[in-house]
Amino acid sequence: MNILSRKEKEELRQVLMPLVDDLHRVALSFCHDENAAEELVAATVGKACESYRSLKDRSRIKPWLLRILSNMFISQQRTKARHPHVEYDEIENDKQNQFSLFEQISQPFLLWWGNPEREIMNKFLDEDIQKAIESLPAEFRIAVVLSDVEGMRYQEIANILQIPLGTVRSRLARGRSLLQKKLWHHAQDLGIILRKAHRHETIQTQHSTH
Amino acid sequence: MKQSKRSIQPISCEEALSRVFDFIDDHLRGKARIELEHHLETCRHCFDRVEFERLLKSRLRKLNVNVHSQKVRKRVETLLDQF
Repeated sequence: MNILSRKEKEELRQVLMPLVDDLHRVALSFCHDENAAEELVAATVGKACESYRSLKDRSRIKPWLLRILSNMFISQQRTKARHPHVEYDEIENDKQNQFSLFEQISQPFLLWWGNPEREIMNKFLDEDIQKAIESLPAEFRIAVVLSDVEGMRYQEIANILQIPLGTVRSRLARGRSLLQKKLWHHAQDLGIILRKAHRHETIQTQHSTH
Repeated sequence: MKQSKRSIQPISCEEALSRVFDFIDDHLRGKARIELEHHLETCRHCFDRVEFERLLKSRLRKLNVNVHSQKVRKRVETLLDQF
C-alpha cells in the first residue's frame, strides 16, 4: 500500500469528501444496487489513494475520480464475464446502431387524433428505464449514464474516459439504440405495444373503420 | 447573421435523422443546425421523432437523484484513514 503523507492525506480528504455524493450517485446509476454502488465507490477511493501522487493537475480531480470509477466498473463487469469486451471498429458500421423505438411505434395515420409515441413513453416506469440501462454492456452504459442521466457534454465524457470524441459518439449511439430496443421488447412483454402480427391486423381494422 | 429561408438548402429526412442526436444534445451548430431546424418546420414525422427523443432523454435525466449516504461517507472516511 502506498502510504500518503499527512499533508497529502488531508489535501485528498479536502477535495474528495465534497465529491462522495457525486461518485455515489454515478455508481448507483451504473449498478442500480446500493451495496454494489458502495463497493464501487470504496474501490474507487482505494485506487485514488494509491495513485494520488501520480495526479499532476489536482484541479482535475473530479474527472480523474470518475475515470477510476468507470474503469473499475468496466473491470468488474468483465470479471463477471456477462458483458465481454466490445470491439468498437465493428460497431462503427453496425446498422443496429440505428434502432429507433419511435420508428417502431409511430403511426402516422393517427396524426390528427392521437400521439401514441408519447402515450407509450408515459406508460414506462422509471424502473423500466433503469432496467433497460442495466441491460447495456458496461462501456455503453457508462456513455449513456454520463450523457443522459448526468447531463455531461461529449467533450467532458471524452476527457473523463480519455477516449476520442468520435468514440464517445459511437458508444452513445450504440447505447441509445440498445436501450430503445430493450424498451421496445419490454413494452411488447407488458402488452403496451402490440406484437407485430397483431399490430398489423389492428392497423388494418382501424384503417377500414376510418 | 440570420440566413434567409430561401438560401437554406433543403435536406432529406435521412439526413435530418442523422443529425437528431447532435441536435437534442445541443452539439449541432451553424449551417447544419439551421438546415435541420428548417426541415423540422416542414416535416411532421422528423419533428415528432425529435420530440420523442427529447422526451426519452428527459426521462433518463430524471433518474438522476441526489444521494446523501452517511454510510458511504463514513466508509470513505475510514478508507482515507488507512492510507
